[in-house]
Amino acid sequence: MALPKRIIKETERLMAEPVKGISAVPHEDNLRYFDVTIEGPEQSPYEGGVFKLELFLPDDYPMTPPKIRFLTKIYHPNIDRLGRICLDVLKGNWSPALQIRTILLSIQALLGAPNPDDPLANDVAQKWKEDQNAAIETARQWTREHAKP
Amino acid sequence: MNTVLCRSDAVDGTSTPCLPPPATPSYMVDHHVVEGIEERPALAPHTDTDARLLVRLIQCRQCSKPFSSPVTMPCGHTVCQRCLPAPQRRVNISYPQTLDHQLGILCPVCGQENSTADCNVDVTVSKIMALLVDYVSRWTAKHAEVVLTLEEVPQPPNDALISEKEMKGHVAQYGGGRLAGTFQMAVDGLLDYWADVAYSKSPGCEKDDLEDLDLDHFNSLRDAISTEMDCMVCYNTMLDPTTTPCGHTFCRHCLMRTLDHSIICPVCRRDVYLSPSLLYQPKNHCLASILDQVWPEVVAARKHTVSEEERPEGALDVPLFVCTLALPGMPCFLHIFEPRYRLMMRRCMEGNRKFGMLMYNQASTSQGDLGVTRFLEYGTLLHIVNFQLLPDGRSLVETVGVSRFRVIEHGMLDGYDVGRIERVDDISLGTEKRLEATEVGTAQSQAALYNAQHPPVPMTAANCPELLTTIELFQACKQYILDMRARSAPWLSERLVRAYGDCPDDPATFPYWFAAVLPIAEEQKYLLLRTTSVRERLKIVYMWIRRIEGQRLLLPRCGGYIGNILATCMGGFHASLTAFISTS
Ligand SMILES: [Zn+2]
Ligand SMILES: [Zn+2]
Ligand SMILES: [Zn+2]
Ligand SMILES: [Zn+2]
Repeated sequence: MALPKRIIKETERLMAEPVKGISAVPHEDNLRYFDVTIEGPEQSPYEGGVFKLELFLPDDYPMTPPKIRFLTKIYHPNIDRLGRICLDVLKGNWSPALQIRTILLSIQALLGAPNPDDPLANDVAQKWKEDQNAAIETARQWTREHAKP
Repeated sequence: MNTVLCRSDAVDGTSTPCLPPPATPSYMVDHHVVEGIEERPALAPHTDTDARLLVRLIQCRQCSKPFSSPVTMPCGHTVCQRCLPAPQRRVNISYPQTLDHQLGILCPVCGQENSTADCNVDVTVSKIMALLVDYVSRWTAKHAEVVLTLEEVPQPPNDALISEKEMKGHVAQYGGGRLAGTFQMAVDGLLDYWADVAYSKSPGCEKDDLEDLDLDHFNSLRDAISTEMDCMVCYNTMLDPTTTPCGHTFCRHCLMRTLDHSIICPVCRRDVYLSPSLLYQPKNHCLASILDQVWPEVVAARKHTVSEEERPEGALDVPLFVCTLALPGMPCFLHIFEPRYRLMMRRCMEGNRKFGMLMYNQASTSQGDLGVTRFLEYGTLLHIVNFQLLPDGRSLVETVGVSRFRVIEHGMLDGYDVGRIERVDDISLGTEKRLEATEVGTAQSQAALYNAQHPPVPMTAANCPELLTTIELFQACKQYILDMRARSAPWLSERLVRAYGDCPDDPATFPYWFAAVLPIAEEQKYLLLRTTSVRERLKIVYMWIRRIEGQRLLLPRCGGYIGNILATCMGGFHASLTAFISTS
């Protein structure tokens, strides 16, 4: 199936004007499938970590959002053990005017501002609410262990 | 038509060099075809006419100035916000009940009444205007020494004779070349929307290569606004630009696809109260004209690629709907609500109104060369006879089966299945006759041998349909329908017969009708799609009937003859009918 112009343009722009701390590289054999890395934002428990994600553009993209998940283990109230991300723009709030770049930026922002009130990983969110400092320390530790650059 | 005005007359007999008189195309003179501009061939940007025509693209019809806070109304016309007529109360509008829907604005261009709520600033045209004003003023400052005298040449709104005096237009001097001068003249309110312009070099202007200057200017303006012409959904130059009431513009097909998924604007997320049949929503005439005049090759290329893109790649040219069983000649009613199938149906309607219907491969069995697919390989090509679009975007689709097919190759297009199919037809009547003769003959001699051993259950027509000729099979099946009618079987009710028509007299189509009305499992009925002879189909139907009639007798299996249809005999007529699920 021919690749829509939109995906080609987005890919070109991602390559030509990369976002700081984010990279997204399409697979050679499947240009709808991207290897993504996001650097943990400064002053967040994820600082210093490099997180791998996989991103897939479904057939009816951009009518439906990209499918994306963390491959690197991460301790975060809005990301579950399978790496699935709880982010409104990846679900009902998706709009075809959004793009890969904006989604990755949203995910990077989510790392900087975990939201335990809208959790996906319930146990993590629980810990986050009970003892935020301890949770942040765990997140730091996981980052050191699993998200080595 | 070219004789309404002669431009050379409009210039005073001074010694200023007069630019070569332009060949005024006839459409420049006919005032009532402006909407048709987009149909016209593109103009090279370096003649007098072009500068005039290009500026007219962004002139307000009401005030004749370049648009300021342009509003594009649902009728597709654009005027400045300040040029909108006062709203007036609309009659017979009860929904939506808000005040701004109760008030209407009459379009000064076409006279259509638009709801005030839907008359908002056009974001794209506004951005274009801001860029143009900026670029033109910078250009003019840079090329101030190229001073031209522009004379407005008024055009009467019809062919009526107008006195010389009334024809007198404004005269002004502007720097920057023809394009810049014409724009500035419009800004200054000295250029009527309909008027033409005559250009001449002002005394002291030594510029020789005016055309190059204008061309450069044109190109810089074109580059400046080109990104505004991209659709936010497909990232291409907009094709058939269609504007939402919130003032955002997309390709028509991109907006339609977006609204298939959600009724909010992709950019501002406001609700978009547009008819789901955007097909009939007028396009944004202003943007469409700009695109057609300034980027004619791009527009042509886009039209071409879209028609290519919407056609599946290679030979995968038939949309496939994996949903239910459909039968040749029989109606099939569908309720479409999933966005991807809305898109598919729309494309079908724009195309040949045909698509393939396939059943789910629930048992995940291998489908011939295709391997395990999510659908069964045989299906029915359906023709859309009636397409009813509901206000919320869902649709009711009435189809009728055209022919049977087998999927040879398949893929996906925008979320739905597409495939290359091969028509499945019956063998010729000659072959059919030979097949019948051989089969009946063989069965009869086998039955004679078998029955000679006095088995407890002898081989008869009841358990071995091969013993019957094709016509006997057909008659037996029809007789069953008559018996059932006499017993007022519920599945032969008036209602069903009305939907599927009366029992056909053609043995070839009878099995499809029978399958359509008989309440048995679809997997059983599916077997009919694979048949290639009338006899084969009638045998299948015949065995269904035997199963239904003999449900309590627990017929023993007889040789391999009953192989393809097996009954799970259960108590109760209906239970057995509905539980007649394949065990084959
Ligand atoms: Zn105006
Ligand atoms: Zn109008
Ligand atoms: Zn588009
Ligand atoms: Zn909007």
